[in-house]
Amino acid sequence: MAVPDALRKPTKRKQVDEEDASPEDLQATGSLEMLSDEEDAGDTSSDDGQIDEFPEIFDGSDSDESDFDEDEEDESQEDDEEGAESDDSLHIFPKAKIVVSEITSQPKTVYPEIEPDYDSDSSTEEDPNRVGNIPMHWYDDLPHIGYDMNGKQVLRPARGDELDKFLATVDDSSAWTSAFDKNTQTEKPLTSEELDLIRRLYTNENPDANYDPYEPMTEWFTGKGKEEIMPLSGALQPKRRWVPSKWEKQKVMKIVRAIRQSRILPSKPKATSKFEPYAIWSEPSSSHPPPLPAPKRPLPTNAESYNPPEEYLPTEEERKAWEALDPEDRERDYLPQKYSSLRLVPAYDSFVKERFHRQLDLYLAPRVQRVKLNIDPNSLIPKLPSPNSLKPFPNYKSLQFHHSKSRARCISISPDGAWVISGDESGVVSLWEITVGREVKKWKFEGKIGALAWCPRMDVSYFAVGIEGAVHFIIPPNVDPLVLSLTQSILAPTTLPPPPATPSNVKWITPPSNTWSLDTPILTINLPPSSGLPTHFCWHRRGDYLASVSTGGTQGGVWIHQLTRRHSQAPFKKIKGAVQSVLFHPLKPHFFVATQQYVRIYNLSEQKLVKTLVPGIKWISSMDVHSSGDHLIVGGYDRKLCWFDLELSEKPYKVLRYHSRAIRSLQFHPTYPLFASSSDDGSIQIFHSRVYNDLMTDPLIVPLKILRGHHVTDGLGVLQVKWCPKHPWLVSSAADGSVAVWCS
Amino acid sequence: MDNTPTTVSQPVVFSTQTQYPLPSQKFMIPASWRRYQLSQLVNKALSLEKPVPFDFLVRGELLHATLSQWCSENGVGEEETLEIEYIESVMPPQKMSDFPHEDWVSSVSCQFQGYFLTASYDGQIRAFDYSTNLVSSTLAHSAPITSMCVIPTTTDDSTYTIATSSHDLTAQITQINLEMPSSSKALASLHLHTAPVSSISTDTSGTHLLTSSWDGLIGLWDTTVPASDEVPEPTPNERDRKKRRRVENAAKPKRKAPLLVLKSHTARVSKVLFPSGTEEKKAYSCGFDSTVRRWDTEHGICEHTINASEKPFLDLALTSDGNSALAVSTDRTLTLFDLRTSGLTASSATFHHPATPSCVVPCESNSYQVVTGAYDGVVRVWDVRSTKSAMATFKAWDGQQKVLDVDWKHGIVGVGGEGGLEVWKVGEEKA
Repeated sequence: MAVPDALRKPTKRKQVDEEDASPEDLQATGSLEMLSDEEDAGDTSSDDGQIDEFPEIFDGSDSDESDFDEDEEDESQEDDEEGAESDDSLHIFPKAKIVVSEITSQPKTVYPEIEPDYDSDSSTEEDPNRVGNIPMHWYDDLPHIGYDMNGKQVLRPARGDELDKFLATVDDSSAWTSAFDKNTQTEKPLTSEELDLIRRLYTNENPDANYDPYEPMTEWFTGKGKEEIMPLSGALQPKRRWVPSKWEKQKVMKIVRAIRQSRILPSKPKATSKFEPYAIWSEPSSSHPPPLPAPKRPLPTNAESYNPPEEYLPTEEERKAWEALDPEDRERDYLPQKYSSLRLVPAYDSFVKERFHRQLDLYLAPRVQRVKLNIDPNSLIPKLPSPNSLKPFPNYKSLQFHHSKSRARCISISPDGAWVISGDESGVVSLWEITVGREVKKWKFEGKIGALAWCPRMDVSYFAVGIEGAVHFIIPPNVDPLVLSLTQSILAPTTLPPPPATPSNVKWITPPSNTWSLDTPILTINLPPSSGLPTHFCWHRRGDYLASVSTGGTQGGVWIHQLTRRHSQAPFKKIKGAVQSVLFHPLKPHFFVATQQYVRIYNLSEQKLVKTLVPGIKWISSMDVHSSGDHLIVGGYDRKLCWFDLELSEKPYKVLRYHSRAIRSLQFHPTYPLFASSSDDGSIQIFHSRVYNDLMTDPLIVPLKILRGHHVTDGLGVLQVKWCPKHPWLVSSAADGSVAVWCS
Repeated sequence: MDNTPTTVSQPVVFSTQTQYPLPSQKFMIPASWRRYQLSQLVNKALSLEKPVPFDFLVRGELLHATLSQWCSENGVGEEETLEIEYIESVMPPQKMSDFPHEDWVSSVSCQFQGYFLTASYDGQIRAFDYSTNLVSSTLAHSAPITSMCVIPTTTDDSTYTIATSSHDLTAQITQINLEMPSSSKALASLHLHTAPVSSISTDTSGTHLLTSSWDGLIGLWDTTVPASDEVPEPTPNERDRKKRRRVENAAKPKRKAPLLVLKSHTARVSKVLFPSGTEEKKAYSCGFDSTVRRWDTEHGICEHTINASEKPFLDLALTSDGNSALAVSTDRTLTLFDLRTSGLTASSATFHHPATPSCVVPCESNSYQVVTGAYDGVVRVWDVRSTKSAMATFKAWDGQQKVLDVDWKHGIVGVGGEGGLEVWKVGEEKA
């Protein structure tokens, strides 16, 4: 009886749930109320997981129920079977099965259909007591407990006393698993499903035995093949998605305001309500000087007397003039008045006003005792040796050479210090003696002369001329035949060296030897087109490598030309920033490259960056390295001159800002401890720069002389300075077309 | 000596090295007197029939203003006795004539009476007579000529032998004929140097030449023209063939080798010369290594070296008495060296110029007077006893153009330089 009851109940409840889930139905009476509720919950939960699938009644249960009708003797067997089947067949809920859907070809859970047969209605349930859902204590005093279908009294079953109960529990092992049924007023054994449900509730498990907490997730909208490609809605993103939340801000500001008004104390000071006594007089006297005494009023003079002499009394005109003046402009704030006796002197009418002004004066005028700095200004001047003790240095203009009508851009001095070549913007290169200044030879090129450089080798004699897109090599006239033949063999060897493995787009051209003359270059390096004007040359000390920097072109402008191999190469594939100047280290295989703001030192043999110097100059114009190789000077268009100690730091050792305009050029003297800088302000500054061999002593830099004499034309001053290698003489070229020799 | 009692007087003792000595006694001179009154005083005291102008040196300084001004400037009290040396005054120089040139004149010679010789940067030797006519013009070098000297010969008047040095690494002996300019010819070319030759000079007898060069060598040559080349021709080059052919068409000068090479200078030798007369077989040179050297030309060794610090010398001259040397350097000084002392630095006086002095030449007759030309275009006449200021100055070509060479012979100063040649009359009209 119990099993079919238990099996039938869920179906009944489900039917009720489906039809109308009225609260009255849910409030089932009796001890099974909880069970039915739980069952309901479990069912709904399963419904939540598997939507749209209508629960079906398992076929097995149907057969069970049909079996039930046949006879009651099978009950025990059924019971045993149920017990044997135990957990597998314990199904309060309809058994679901997973089938592959024909439509979506996805697996789906299918529940058995509910057969709306007679048995599915609980009203047809056989219950002997048909009183319905009434409080059963109404029948407490009666011998029956209700009425059956036919209206006959259902008698109260016999109930034993406590001893019988006890005995029953002793006899019947299943007695403790029975519950009292109020409707029938008998002990009714709980079915194994109900017991299992109780056990699950007791151990806080899910009441549904079929419930699998780890069942695989059904991916409805995610997973492979179900990715959302298109947005769900075509609406624009609301602004609040990227605007900081106003609400949060308000909340935060509320807190901030509270903190500001110290309603919230972030770190609550420890409440020290206790008063701590301290000694008032023990604190040391403040270091402030005592307040200054107020200035004393000047003593009254004769004019302020009540009876002044006649000459102090103002005349009528003076009185009117005094009254006509504004009170601020009056020389004195009273008029002398004469009284014959002190008794006749009236009360001082402007007493309050005068007191007020005095108070204002005392209060508003700060009275501070100014501390005079007692420093000897001479002690602030650094101790530098006198320029006279640092002779020789160039201090006067010995002679001047003129280029007609165009700027003298560049100069170079022969390594023996006897000849100067100077080039101007009209394409003229002039060769002249440094001591006489007489032009010996002149060459004319197309376009501006960008750079000139004399080969540093002493056994040969030639120089390089940089014009737009080409570098020419020229032999000066009046050269010793031995030197001439050696120079020619270097610049135009009879057997050309093998061409390099990687062909370069730089062409080395030597005219045939029968066309050689003093007027034409013996060797021309044609830089690639649109490489611009070479503005800077730098020879390696051995005179084999010539580095050139071109500007104004579209391509990167640094080239290193090797004369013996007749090969030009660009050492850098890509350079950050425009290269202003390059230098070979005088001793090491290092290569200095000055871009607009940085000076980078590369190791040419190891092909790597050694150091980057940061001069702090906005635009570097020029640089030069000391002959010891440890010191570098860098000049900038922003008037700064930086001295770097390469051993010391990447920052300048000293920054000199003595020029009033941009620095154009600077150079160390190769032998004398001198360097010079030229500027657009038309001046050249000579510095003494002694470098010590021991690393502890800082270099000594002494400004020696400002050489003036070049005129500033079009805002351009002295464009280049070069030292004579053997003498402390300086050659400078200026924008006014003059080239000057400054001698010591 | 009629000084009024109101004027302040200064006790003065006169001394002189001229031929007009005064008795050594103390004079009371009015402090307001100038050079002119002092000169009159000396003339009157000596009762010279022909007035001789004098200049007065007070403590080595030429007196320009009054005595009282000088005393106040130098802080000399009225009680002190001044020693005043008087020297014969130099008349204000007068410009005689102007010879414009196409190119810069690097060397000037006034040695011949009636002619001026100039060597120019265009390689020409030009001769002018006193009426500014160009008498002859000879192309001696294809490169600029740096220096020129006239070799005294005993031949007839119209032919002269001239030695020139040039940038083309050679010096050359050229014979020019002033009456027949076309018959001028190059006799010999001197081959030693590997750098431009800076100067050439001859001894008084005209038998030897000295050349100095930028390569630091000094060559000693004789003036005889060899019969054949002493120095072989360089191996003919493809390039030189054309040039050589052209030279061969003219009478090719003989290539001459030096007698001796004097090596001691470490830098460019700017000037070398023989002393005048008394010292035989000697030579003096100066160079950019700041030394003045005396050479024994017989053995070719450097006898004596005077070291000056940082004074690259540009030109050297010996005074007519041969006791002292005067050298100009690029530090704008003319330095007097006493050659009689054997000390290392025998600099006894320096004369400061406002610009680079380029050349110096002594007076022939007066061993105290010397002329320098400078790059500011000013020629200065100095008395070596007055170091502070020049005795007389004059501007060639109104200044601004460099003076490259001066020559002072027979009271005439020839000034060669950027503007050509100018001739000025300076002192010594009696010569």
